[in-house]
Amino acid sequence: MRFPDFVGHEDAKLALILNAIDPNCGGVLFVGERGSGKSTLSRLFKDVLPEGTPFIELPLNITEDVLLGGIDLEETIQSGRKVFQHGILDRAHSGIIYIDDVNLLSPEIIALILQVQGRGENIIEREGLTLRHTSRFILLASMNPEEGTLSPHLLDHFGMCVLWERLKETFERIEVVKKAAPEVFVCNDKGMGIDGGLKEKVLVCRSILKDITLTDEIRGYIARLCIENYVSGHRGDLFLFYACRAYATFYGYKEVTKKHVDEVLPLVLLHRRRILQQMEKEEHRHDEKKPSEQRSEKHEQNDTKTDRNDENTSVGSMGEGLKDFENRTRESHPREEVFELGDVFKTRRIVFRKDRADRSASGRRTKTKSKDKGGRYVKSVMKTRNDIAIDATLRAAAPFQKIRGRKEMLLIHDEDLRFKQREKKMGHLAVFVVDGSGSMGAQRRMAETKGAIQSLLMDCYQKRDMVSMIVFRKEKAEVVLPPTSSVENASKRLREIPVGGKTPLAAGLLEAYKLIKRVMFKSPQTRFLVMLITDGRANQSISEEPVGEEMEKISQLLRELRFTDYIVVDTEDKSRFIKTDFAREVASQIGADYYTIDNLKADYLSDIIKSRKTEKFGV
Amino acid sequence: MEEKDGGSLRMIFPFTAIVGQEEMKIGLILNVIDPSIGGLLIMGEKGTAKSTAVRALAELLPEIEAVKECPFNCDSDGFLCNQCRETLGSEGHLHSERKKMKVLELPLGITEDRLIGTLDIEHALKKGEKRFEPGILASANRNFLYVDEVNLLEDHIVDLLLDSAAMGVNTVEREGISFMHPARFILVGTMNPEEGDLRPQLLDRFGLCVRVVSIQDKGERMEILRRKAAFDSNPGDFLMARSSEQRDLAGKIVRAKDRLNSIRITDDILGKIVDITSSLNLDGHRPDIVIMKSARALSAFREKDTIEQDDIKDAASLSLSHRLKRLPFEDIGNENKKMQSILWGMQA
Repeated sequence: MRFPDFVGHEDAKLALILNAIDPNCGGVLFVGERGSGKSTLSRLFKDVLPEGTPFIELPLNITEDVLLGGIDLEETIQSGRKVFQHGILDRAHSGIIYIDDVNLLSPEIIALILQVQGRGENIIEREGLTLRHTSRFILLASMNPEEGTLSPHLLDHFGMCVLWERLKETFERIEVVKKAAPEVFVCNDKGMGIDGGLKEKVLVCRSILKDITLTDEIRGYIARLCIENYVSGHRGDLFLFYACRAYATFYGYKEVTKKHVDEVLPLVLLHRRRILQQMEKEEHRHDEKKPSEQRSEKHEQNDTKTDRNDENTSVGSMGEGLKDFENRTRESHPREEVFELGDVFKTRRIVFRKDRADRSASGRRTKTKSKDKGGRYVKSVMKTRNDIAIDATLRAAAPFQKIRGRKEMLLIHDEDLRFKQREKKMGHLAVFVVDGSGSMGAQRRMAETKGAIQSLLMDCYQKRDMVSMIVFRKEKAEVVLPPTSSVENASKRLREIPVGGKTPLAAGLLEAYKLIKRVMFKSPQTRFLVMLITDGRANQSISEEPVGEEMEKISQLLRELRFTDYIVVDTEDKSRFIKTDFAREVASQIGADYYTIDNLKADYLSDIIKSRKTEKFGV
Repeated sequence: MEEKDGGSLRMIFPFTAIVGQEEMKIGLILNVIDPSIGGLLIMGEKGTAKSTAVRALAELLPEIEAVKECPFNCDSDGFLCNQCRETLGSEGHLHSERKKMKVLELPLGITEDRLIGTLDIEHALKKGEKRFEPGILASANRNFLYVDEVNLLEDHIVDLLLDSAAMGVNTVEREGISFMHPARFILVGTMNPEEGDLRPQLLDRFGLCVRVVSIQDKGERMEILRRKAAFDSNPGDFLMARSSEQRDLAGKIVRAKDRLNSIRITDDILGKIVDITSSLNLDGHRPDIVIMKSARALSAFREKDTIEQDDIKDAASLSLSHRLKRLPFEDIGNENKKMQSILWGMQA
């Protein structure tokens, strides 16, 4: 199959072609389900590029030395001088790096790739080697959002983003099957009106790219679009500029028009909008416009152009379910309130009780010496393992070469061998599962609850834990904050949580379960603490089953998770005459420690007594 | 500017062509004028010219006097490396030469041996003797050390960085080698706070801190696009057109450097500085010293003979934003508001 034969997904093909014409377009991220053809198309991309363009697929288990380059063992021993082994970033120069499932790649590796990409140059200061080489490449990546998200700042690095929706039309599906088995069907080229000459066309476009003119009017248009869409930083402006210029070139125009900008706009801005700010604004607008709602809806229908853009951009919010999040803010709901933070207090020591001992021993974050070859090479040691630190071994052997009478090969004795000591960060992730249902709004319980969550967040901050936040209300739950170490962001999100609607408790817990599974896949060493903050009045199921049975099932799942502790913070007002204590039941169901907001507060006296005891008896 | 890169020339977007972001620019310039200010941390979202500015700074840097051919840029009047000390002992004097200051980049993937230096393998192989091979900290002495995404740096590298930053000396004891050399570098870091926090010890190391945000003015954003496009399509011409502006700024920096020591710091000025820091309940004396030095550098850059109210005010706002006491989640806005109100109160 060739590139033009690929059926449908015209926006994806366009994105690739624009990048082929101008690598300044900043690469493409494909977001979609497994088996939707993302990788197939990415690999076909080679067809569009000039002969000999490197195309490198990055394996998920890649190590730093393979990526950046390192010392070449064989050559170095042979020649007796340091010989550099080129890394992927060197081989990919002026070509493509393709990462399948980029959301599963370790964040450290992603950071390295993006730093080199941003700089256009790889600076190597490793294992006794100093070197720099230009490394410009188009970054192509795909991800399946069901398997975990990518944080917004990583998204931002990609020039373009394309959402893969399943092909709906029967006709297109038939075409896919036909193209996959060309020997059975006679294929006729179509789609984009491109024939075999695509590669040549790209080359021509590259050569005339710089002659395409861009008026101040268009520049102003680009700037305005980015400001209106709350694009953070100026990268959006630049990517939009490169994209529309490449677009104009491809379609044979000498000058960029607004229409060209509009055509590439969804590709560039889809993943870039500051979602929360945007939401706030829409919420305001919504409030103002309520009476005229019908009219504006009608208007939207007429104006298909805006409609399309709108749809695309909102889908692009990506942090799963954020589309719904936006939609939700548009729904009118009479009892929706956002409460400020209540009192913030010092919490008693409850977080990660099970491993507090080894944590305090090694500082704030636990590190484990890793047994396998993963993790970062920290220093070399004299121990027998089969992970040889080449540089250190050579250094150990070097001074003795003369005495040992070296001729051609280096003479390395057993006592020279050095091994790598690697280190993996053992992460701690605190997952806040917050009840945002209407009952939480009663008597401003939510303000107090937010105060409590803030207090717990502060504890996480001091312990340098990662945090994530899930909110459940109305019909469903959503991850409002993917795992992050920026507790400041978490606090920001916390303030923004609105209250109103029913209590889909099971949905909240299920979301936590899925999140933990995803993180476990990516970093199996992580320990989890789920903090469920609720009054326990589950009254909305996610399936056909009754609420109770659903809760039983999900509790079963949660209890089976490894390395996961639970606590339930009951937000019910215990001073009232009628108490339900539903949350206590939930706690025993999932095997959680149970707290009310009041007994969550640090009891200084008892803490002091406890620590004294520990000192005295060395417990 | 042009930078040699393995034979090919690398073009760098010029400093004076960066639109807006005045605080960041002045923060960098003050550190050139007085390196003892202690560096700059630039916080901000992606794509706000943070890295561009730091790299562009290189062209504006002045020359310094350093011991000839010393890989550690020893100052002949200051603390000397082992090598220079030997030379001084055997020959009785040291020759100096003028070198242009540099911006050295510390990549995220750096290994320990390249940071602090290690045994020179090739020398050991050829001669069978142990010799020290300097790391980045050696070349960074008296130069700028730039860490992009400093909050993503590995902990064990940060530890080493903090050690030598605190002492101003890099002490190496490994692989049978002992070596000591001065390592006083001007630390410049950029970070996007959304990607994670910075360790407090490291945060405290930075003399100044600025926060950059994207420009909201449509006209300026258009100008950014215009300049970027012009630079991309013909960097040579673009640099040429900017060259006189670049030279003017470089000259202005050198003049400010010369005039720095002639600016007197009176008790009245010290009093004002201490008033600010004490009303903000700041610990330690580092904030006072940083404000004092940057106020003086500011006044020198503004071609004045005395430090005035607005120099102190601007210096304080550059020096204090990352030192203000606050609970971990208190809004950044709140603390700044408090500081601003104190600074504004000064004028009244």
